[in-house]
Amino acid sequence: MASPSAWPPPPDPAPPRPESAPARTRGRRTAVVVLSVLLAGSLGVGAYLWLTTTRWQEHSASWEDEARGYAGRVATLEAELRATDAELVAAREQLATATARITDLANEKAQLGDENVASQQYLDYQRRVSEAAGVVTSALGACVDGQTQLIGYLEDRDSYDAADVDRFAADVETLCRQASKADDQLQQELRRELDQ
Amino acid sequence: MRVRRPAGTAPGARTPRPVLAATLVVASLAGCGVLPALPGPVPSDVVPTDAAPSAAPTLDPAGAEGLSPDGFDAVQRMAVRIRNVGCSGLSTGSGFAVDEHTLITNRHVVADSDTLQVSTYDGRDLEVAAAGSTSLADLALVRTADPLPSHPTLADADPRPGDEVTVVGYPEGGRLTITAGEVIGPTTDPLHENLGEVLLTDAPVEPGSSGSAALDADGRVIGVVYAKTSDDRSLLVPVSTLERVLDDAEGFRALPPCARSSEAPSAPPSEIPSPG
Repeated sequence: MASPSAWPPPPDPAPPRPESAPARTRGRRTAVVVLSVLLAGSLGVGAYLWLTTTRWQEHSASWEDEARGYAGRVATLEAELRATDAELVAAREQLATATARITDLANEKAQLGDENVASQQYLDYQRRVSEAAGVVTSALGACVDGQTQLIGYLEDRDSYDAADVDRFAADVETLCRQASKADDQLQQELRRELDQ
Repeated sequence: MRVRRPAGTAPGARTPRPVLAATLVVASLAGCGVLPALPGPVPSDVVPTDAAPSAAPTLDPAGAEGLSPDGFDAVQRMAVRIRNVGCSGLSTGSGFAVDEHTLITNRHVVADSDTLQVSTYDGRDLEVAAAGSTSLADLALVRTADPLPSHPTLADADPRPGDEVTVVGYPEGGRLTITAGEVIGPTTDPLHENLGEVLLTDAPVEPGSSGSAALDADGRVIGVVYAKTSDDRSLLVPVSTLERVLDDAEGFRALPPCARSSEAPSAPPSEIPSPG
């Protein structure tokens, strides 16, 4: 059995190509330029970022001042609103008290008006009763006078016409009956008033 | 067998310089795009000038209903107290305005009156110009020379059983009072004072409440109180009857003057002609 062997046989390594000196110089120069550009760019970007950071800090500070100013105004307005609400509640309570008082006063006035009218009606009634009592008294007095007069006529009957004396006696009787009736009406009215 | 490398990919081949430069330029521009922009100036005023109307403060709905020219609500302002100064006594009742110079009450409130005196919720006295009553229902109409403070609207139809009812009046001739209840339903008039059916409610009333307005939940008149039952329920003349009576102005007749009782005895003759 034949021993294994690499097939095909590896090529012979090529001999390194020697670089020339100008090429190496050009490469270094290019690298320096590129690195310089990169350094300059990095510095520019860094400066820009520093400026940006500074500006944003100032911007943020300004906004914070603005926000604190508005927060202060909000706090002031809230305090004013609470005070106004308290005043409104107090005003409503005062209004409710005032309307209740007005209603009470209106009621008191109405009750006094009722009492005044009732008193006036009672005074009118008393006046009418007094007038009626005067009329009854007068009628009863006339009755008594008539009867006295009739007694005189009867004591001296011969001096008068009998028919006239009888007519006078009948008139006196009528008068006394009417006076008695008026007195009964008055007493009845007074009893009715006492019962009420 | 021999393998050939593709052209241009020989190991150790250098990137061309223009490509490298272009790559740097592109990378630089892309990097600038990623950098944050500088902030703009802070505005001097950030308060919006066109705030939405809903953001404006509004009245508390719970408290707005109580607003009126003088703190009294319309329900109280329309009620009046009626004092009937009769020839033989005094009585009081209630009423309510239906327009600026007209008020409604019960016929029995103004019957047998010598003078009618009307006062408002705040105690003001109003001069009465005329009064009349109708025979169709226990209703009367009073015209005032002075304007009435407020008047409600009449409901479109009679209420249904279960509807809310509010009664505003002067029970016992006292303080202006508001009571509430529910409509029980229509019933025949036990007093036979009204044409057609009347309404029964459980709103409490007292003597002196006669003529009070009965209002629905919207403050519209649904009836006029005219009586109470023995089980403390109230009877109303329904608004349909009220409207029918108001439409027939000819149906109102002027109130007859009261008849004074003759408590004074008749005067007998004071003189008797002498005989002869």
